[in-house]
Parts: sequence; C-alpha cells; structure tokens
Amino acid sequence: MRSIRTLAAVALAAGLALALAACGSSSSTSSTSTTASASSALSSSGYKSPLTEPLTGGKRGGSLQVLQEIDFEHLDPGIAYFSVDYAVVFATQRPLYSQKPNSSEATPDMAEGPPEISNGGKTVTVHIKQGIRFSPPVNREVTSEDVAYAIERGTNPDVANPYIASYFKAIEGEPTDMTGAPMKGIETPNKHEIVFHLTEPKGQLVADALVLPLTAAVPNEYAEKFDKNKPSDYANYEVATGPYMLKNNSEGKVLGIGYIPGKSATLVRNPNWNPKTDYRPAYLNEIDVKIGGTSSVIGRQVLEGSNVVQNESSVAQPNIRLAAEKFKSQLEISPGGGDHYIGVNNKVGPFKNIDLRKAFWAGLNRTALDKVKGGTLVTNVATHFIYPTINGFEQAGGLTGLKVDYNEHPEGDTAVAEKYIKLAGYPTGKYTGHELTTIVASTGDPFEEQAEIVQQTLKNLGFPVKLTLVETSTMYAKYCNVPKEEITVCPSVGWIADFPDPQTVLNITFNGTTIVPTGNVNWGQTNVPKINKAMAAAENVVGNEARANAWAKIDDELVEDAAAIPFDWDKQANIEGSDVNGVGDIWNVGEWDYSYTSLK
Amino acid sequence: MSTGAAELLPSGGDALEFLDLGGDVVARSPLQLFWRRLRQDRVALVSLGFIVFLIVIALAAPLVVSVLGLPGPDVQNLNLTDSFGSPLGPSSAHPFGVDSLGEDVMSRVIYGTRVSLEVGVIGTAISTMIGVIVGMCAGFYRGWVDTLLSRFMDIVLSIPILLLGIGLGAACGVHGCVKGLVQPGLGSIIFIICIATWPYIGRIVRGLVLSMREREFVEASRALGASNLRIMFREILPNLAAPIIVYSSLLIPTNILLEAALSFLGVGIRPPTASWGNMIAQAAPIFNTAWWFMVFPGIALLLTVLAFNLLGDGLQDALNPRNAQ
Repeated sequence: MRSIRTLAAVALAAGLALALAACGSSSSTSSTSTTASASSALSSSGYKSPLTEPLTGGKRGGSLQVLQEIDFEHLDPGIAYFSVDYAVVFATQRPLYSQKPNSSEATPDMAEGPPEISNGGKTVTVHIKQGIRFSPPVNREVTSEDVAYAIERGTNPDVANPYIASYFKAIEGEPTDMTGAPMKGIETPNKHEIVFHLTEPKGQLVADALVLPLTAAVPNEYAEKFDKNKPSDYANYEVATGPYMLKNNSEGKVLGIGYIPGKSATLVRNPNWNPKTDYRPAYLNEIDVKIGGTSSVIGRQVLEGSNVVQNESSVAQPNIRLAAEKFKSQLEISPGGGDHYIGVNNKVGPFKNIDLRKAFWAGLNRTALDKVKGGTLVTNVATHFIYPTINGFEQAGGLTGLKVDYNEHPEGDTAVAEKYIKLAGYPTGKYTGHELTTIVASTGDPFEEQAEIVQQTLKNLGFPVKLTLVETSTMYAKYCNVPKEEITVCPSVGWIADFPDPQTVLNITFNGTTIVPTGNVNWGQTNVPKINKAMAAAENVVGNEARANAWAKIDDELVEDAAAIPFDWDKQANIEGSDVNGVGDIWNVGEWDYSYTSLK
Repeated sequence: MSTGAAELLPSGGDALEFLDLGGDVVARSPLQLFWRRLRQDRVALVSLGFIVFLIVIALAAPLVVSVLGLPGPDVQNLNLTDSFGSPLGPSSAHPFGVDSLGEDVMSRVIYGTRVSLEVGVIGTAISTMIGVIVGMCAGFYRGWVDTLLSRFMDIVLSIPILLLGIGLGAACGVHGCVKGLVQPGLGSIIFIICIATWPYIGRIVRGLVLSMREREFVEASRALGASNLRIMFREILPNLAAPIIVYSSLLIPTNILLEAALSFLGVGIRPPTASWGNMIAQAAPIFNTAWWFMVFPGIALLLTVLAFNLLGDGLQDALNPRNAQ
C-alpha cells in the first residue's frame, strides 16, 4: 500500500506485514486491467477528470509553477512511497513499467514489452529498450545491470525500500538480513535483458510490482559511493532517465540546486531523454515547485493564478467548494483515491458477534460520513472493499455491491439494525450488554466528525461508547495497529493499493494469517478460515479476469461477514490556474502528472 | 453634614473610613468598604453581572436550550449542511448557525459555558489552594523548606505545559494513566491546569508571608504561645485574603484560555462534549465558508475572559485602594 499523507503510518506497516502477500503462477502476461467503465461512472460530471482529459495535442514549452504546503519525503526512486513524491519521481524516472494518467494498466516503460512469466511462475523475464540514457553527468545508456542494482539497493538498510519485502521477497537469494548485497536470483544475460528467478511461483505478483519506482534504473558506478553513506544520499545527486531531471551542477549535485528541502524543487528537461523510447509527451520545459505556506491560502492563489497548480495529498475542502462554484474549469476530480472503512474488532468486544456487526453496518449513516468529507464531489458511498480503478471492482458488484439488507440503505436503517440486534440475543432491539465499545479515531477534519457520527450511531443502538481522538500516526502505531490494545472500532482507517490487483486490497487487510502483534493492518483481526482458504487459492489464480472474479467472491464473503464497514471510495480533487491544462491520474491518488500537463 | 474627620484621612485610605450619620460617626466594616468601592467601578459591576449571567446559563443550560427551542448540543442533523458538507448559517431556527455535523452552534456555546466555568473555577480553586499552602510553608518556615519548595516551584514553572498536555493526551488518551486514575477529559484538563498555575500563587503568597511573619501581630501571637499552624492559618492567612482573591480572579481567565488552547490543540475537552476551544479548532479549517462556527464561540470566550479580567482589576482596586491610586 502506498502512502498518502493520512495513511502514511499504514504504509510503513504494510511494508512490514506483507511478507505473506501473494503467490503467482505461470502466465504469459502480467498487465493489470483498468476498470475504466466503473471509473467513468464514478467521475463527477461537469468537472475535469483524468479519464476524459486528452493526452495528446498539448502546447509545448513554458514553465509550470507548482505550489505545495508539504515537503517531499523522499525523491530517491528506491525509497519514494508517497503520492506527492511520486509526482516528481515519475516525471524524472522510468521504471520497467508505468501507467498512463487515465489507466491503471501497466504500460512498458523502460521495458520493451510485457514481462514473460515462465517456469511455472518462478521466472520473470523483461527485455529493456535500447537508447535510454541517464541524465548528466552519467550520460551513458541504461543497461539491465542498472535495473538489477536499483532493485538490490532496495535491500540496503541505508536505502531501506519500504515495499521490497512485500513484493520482491520471492527473488532467489535475497539476503534475509537486508544487507543490500547482490541477489542471486537477478540475472542479466545481456545489457538489455533481466531475468528474475523466484523461489516460489509468485511470478504474477513480481511482474505486477514492476510498475513501482524501485525498478527505475540506478547507475551502479555512480550511485555506489552515495549508497555507502548512512543513510544513502543518492537523492542529493540522483540522475534521471525520464523526460525531466532535478536541476543539478556539473558534478551531479542536486541538493541546494534542484532541490532545497522545505523550499523548492526545480525540474528541467533531461537533455539525454529520447522521446522515441518513451510514451510520455513531456510538454513543459520546466516545473518549479515552491514548498511551504498553508494549503487553504495556496488553493486560493492557484485558483486566481495562471500557470500554477497545487500539489497536495488533499486540497483544502473550502477551496474545493470555491473551485466547484466559481472556477469549475480549474477543478479536476480523479476517482482513484483509495477507500476508507470502519475497522471493527471481530475478535474481542461486542462485535465479535457477526449480527452486531451487521447491526452496526445497517444503522450507520454512510452518506453522512461522506458528506462531512465534502459530499459526492469527492466521495462515493462504498458498498464493498475492492474500490474503483482496482481490477475486480465491477465483479464485486460495482457501485451497489452485494445485495444484503444491511448494505442497502446508505443513510442507515434503524429497523434493520434492530433486527440484527435481536438476532444477536437482545430482544428489545437495543444492545443491553455491558461490553464497552472503545473508539479510537484520528484528529483533524473530517475524521473527528466521522468519529462523532460513528459514536452517535452506536449510542443510538444502545452500545456504551468511549471515544478517543489522537493524532493520526498515534492512532495507527499505538492503537489501531496493535491488536493487544483491543480497540473495538477504528473509524479513520483507509487503504490504497500499490498497483491495481485486488489481492493488494484484500489480502493483507483481511487475511487472518497476516495478523501481527504490531504494525497490524488487519484492523478487525478478521480470521475466518473459509476466507483465508479462499485467499490462498485466489493468490494462485492466473489472468486478470479470473483474478478479478476470484477476489470479487472474497470481497462478497467479507461483506457477508461484515468484517469491516466500507463507507467511502475516495475521489481526489486537484486545482489548477486558469492557463494550465492539468492532467491528473487515476493511479497515484489523482496527483498531477507533470509529463502530460501543459500550458494553454 | 460632615464633621470633617473623614476628610482628614487620605482619600481612599484603607485604614479607616466613617459613615456620616448626621453627626454620628460609625465605622464601616471591611466588607462594607469593599462593596462601596466596588460599586463605584461600573465596569467591574457590569463584568460581575455578566459572570453571574454566565453562571446561571451554565447551571441551567438544558433549561435555557429547551426554552429557546434549540436542539441539544449533540443532536446531529446532516440535512443542515449543503451538498459540499458545509454547514448552514444563522437562521431563526438556529440563531448561531450549525456546525459540520448539523449541530446547533448556539446550543453548543451555551453548554460550552459549563466547561469553561468548571475549568476556570475548579482549576483555579485547586491551584490556589495548593499555591497558598506551599507558599505559606515556604515563606513561614524559610531556610531549607523555603529553598526546597521554591526550587520545586521553579521546576514546575519550567515545564512546557502545552507539551505536557499533548504528551498526556497521547499517552493517557485511550486507557488512562496511573492505573486509569488519569483519564482524558475535564478531570485531566483541570489536573494539567493546576500543575501549570499553582506556583504563580505560591510565589506571591511566599513573598507576602515572608514580610508578614515579621509583623508585630505575629510576634504577639507567638509570644502568647500560638502554634505555627495557628499563626499561619489564623493570623497570617486572613491578611492574605485580599491579594489571593485578586490573583485568583485573574487566574480564572488564564485557565479558561488554557483550556481553550489545549482543546484547540486536540488534547483538552474532546468532541462531542462542547467546549469553546474545541469548537474554534473544528471551525478553523472551514472558516472561509462557515464564519459563524468560529465567531460565536470566539465571542463567548472573549467576553468571558474579558469579564473575569475586568472584575479582577475591579477587585484589586476595591481591596487594595492604595494600588488604585
């Protein structure tokens, strides 16, 4: 799971916990399909959408100004794991595969074509294009050894890639102590071919994960000396393979030139970029990122400005409203913002009773939860767990989801709630037990309001409730991610997949075998043998359609089990100045794609 | 008709004043003198009236809300927000508008009065009590007791109280601390406020006691064989009443503001309990579109703090007229 700011702690946890991720199997393709039709249904009509923005025909040249409140976390492609970082990383680096703005389908980037999965899913072969060159001062052509080094350095503790253990652990010879040593399972038969030998038939998962920026080439002879520092400071000298590069001096130094922490970043054209090897148009000449200020003030500056965009993990709600009312053409809504659901403890407390979970689901006004976040412009009422833009969304019921009575009324249905409370053994239709329901939620807008709605719902159903609000990272690290804390309800949790395979949405969050003492992201501690077994089987399913169907069935089972209560499929709002043809994406939480954005 | 005796005294002197009863001269009690002076300070009187009004509002909050026809402070109604989730502004049904959950702001401001007064009064009472006891002990016994207690007060004063509040809020937020004794909410806010403010009173009392213990009436009491405790609490303490009252009255608004600050930072009173501080915090992100959500609790906070401060000044003038001059 990739980090958007509010989910950052989960991202770290995911990296630790997904050792039990997926098993692949033999297949000739690994590309994941977009669910464009679903996404279209979810886009907000009347506003710009990445799904409808033209990807060609933009005006060449010009300088774009980007304003963002927060600084980057990591610009090193081997470490970056935050949507705001990705906006720069994917403009400057080329992984083996990447995604076009309007699609979550993996498109060959440095790769010549789709990955070849063979040997019963235990070998993945990728051919690399010729003519791709590093930016100055390296200047030479990219080879397969550069990709191998890029992945191997991810296990260097001074690089510490956050997701390598989740998706690349099956590579043969990966040192378990994460020392950064060369991996036996990565073979480079020639300069333009890389082969991954796996210990398990997880070829599909490894192939799907090649869209991650860890696979962007890093020149060994140049980066090695920086990677020996503790921690690696390669980011301060990094070279590019994409259409843009962080401005640097003749020695390649970026720090203080192309990136001044807390102040600015400057992207200029990479003189060694060959458009014939790339599908990106790269219209702009320069991108100047200004860091700092307040999101709400920045938003107004952008809406009233010309060649400027705002890049944030989330735009301030009043500015979204302002844009929607007065600057409609400057507002873009992307459907790919992940999802939020209410983590309900299945193991201890009142909600170990499935009927009480269903009662909670039925009684909850999910529309209200979404409304305090900004309403239908930036949310869709979630009815199940696989969210739009993820393969399997339609198969899992699309917008309406599984037809069960507790899922049919998003505004909440007290009668249905009381029915299930009675089934749980409380004849009055109100919970009359004495088990305290502890709610731990995140501070800040809209989590506090959502927590209050949840609290009121539970009170109305008769549950004794204690609500505590803590800072987001505390909520995850100290309470919701720690099973022994026995928190009953975590209403502020959310998830975003690293790539659009349904397994990345459901496995770690609902598979009983993934429960760990700390950093646990199976928040409800769902551990249903039947579901675990189904997941184990689905991991080995081959082909997008088959995988979509298999995981959609699991999604249905999770709804039937009321394992958690989904309430929001996020849509991301982006705002731009009047002279910008901004193009966001549907796969990076809707952030702007600088390689497609142009000026009018 | 004046006999002229009173005119001979310094104007507003605190030693003696006399009632002119047509030739008979009657001494006024200290309380009468205090009230006479306070009455002349109209600003202080208005402030006192406002505070009494607040106390009535706080005590009768459910009744007031009911009489005004307002919904309860925790009644959510998302129908009172627009399609963007922004709350609707003031109307006849909701004179102060509603918040993001459609809760009535006026109702919450009224209930918020309770929290502010509870924190202000109870917090001040406890910190005053602690401050007086510690300050008296330090000033009366002097020597190592003074050194020990004074340094302890210095240490406590050096604690960054907002950071302490944030830390306690994070550490004790869910299960409480000290085996559940310290729980989040009003109690822990008062606890934090007491920690933060008692040394101020303590230092003032210590200084006063240091000078007072050398006075003749203390010597006389000691000569008559009075115990230390008796001297402290029966002889010295009554003479400290005026400064203690004045400083306490000025401490109340400080404590109210501290509660608001802690609630604003998210470690004080937490929703759904209404507090002016947490209302202002919740309103901050949407101020552009829902000014009423911040303005009304802000005005309530401002007026309350102002009233306590002005009353404190008035009390100081009335109890210590020499300073007023």
